[in-house]
Amino acid sequence: MADLNELIHQPVRLRIMAVLATLEAGDEVDFIYLRQLLDVTDGNLGAHLRKLEEAGYILVNKTFVERKPRTYVSASPEGRRVFQEHVAALQAILTQK
Amino acid sequence: MNISPVEAEEALAAIQTVAQKTRRSIASGGATVTLVVTGAIWLIGFIVTQFWPAISPYVWIALSVLGSIISVFWGSRLGARVHSPAMNATARRMALFWLFLIFFGGSAIAIAAPLDGRQVTALILLFALLGHLAMGLLLSFSSVWWPLPIAALVLICYFFLPAYFYLGMGLLGGGTMIALGLIIHFRW
Repeated sequence: MADLNELIHQPVRLRIMAVLATLEAGDEVDFIYLRQLLDVTDGNLGAHLRKLEEAGYILVNKTFVERKPRTYVSASPEGRRVFQEHVAALQAILTQK
Repeated sequence: MNISPVEAEEALAAIQTVAQKTRRSIASGGATVTLVVTGAIWLIGFIVTQFWPAISPYVWIALSVLGSIISVFWGSRLGARVHSPAMNATARRMALFWLFLIFFGGSAIAIAAPLDGRQVTALILLFALLGHLAMGLLLSFSSVWWPLPIAALVLICYFFLPAYFYLGMGLLGGGTMIALGLIIHFRW
């Protein structure tokens, strides 16, 4: 049985990974749209994204759209794998109840 | 790391809620604007056609230009939210589909040679709604249903309210689209 991932289990990071894992592999979501979906502040989201990026679970792509800076975020293949393992571990706890 | 079954259940519920919100947000984002803009165009265009038929061609041209500008602006805004290589290929197929639908729909209308404007309008609306239905099937099952009640209204107004066909399309068709768009935006 896979273990729970302490880094992903934090509520905001769990929801970030849930959004990114819902998208198709290779899809990137805009930082502002992600903030609206999760209803969190810029600073809070930025801090959690940094932790996930340092762990190699997400990829951050800073680019320009119509000469305005935009930040896009996607789940890395490793991030998708550990998130699925985390979900499986949560489900296993419920089935053992 | 150990957590209780209650905590595990809460975490799974949080994942499910945010995943569902993401899918719905992406699926309904385009439908809301499409419905409200198209509904407003129908409302104004068909009421003008019913009561002031002489100026209606100019009004329809102006409304079509305005609708196209809003669609392009909103489409680029929605496209900036999620970058999707798979979706870019789908968008090209969708554009080709609409071109073919216009060609085949136009050919069918030319062959059938409808007798009056009411028949031409009903056929154009049914072809356009078929296109929206196909887009719904392609993108998300949750946005398939809305062209069906509008198509039913077109047929009801055509067969049972021939004298007030354009007024019915404006008030019932346009009004229903605006209402559906607002319901999806605020309640879904």
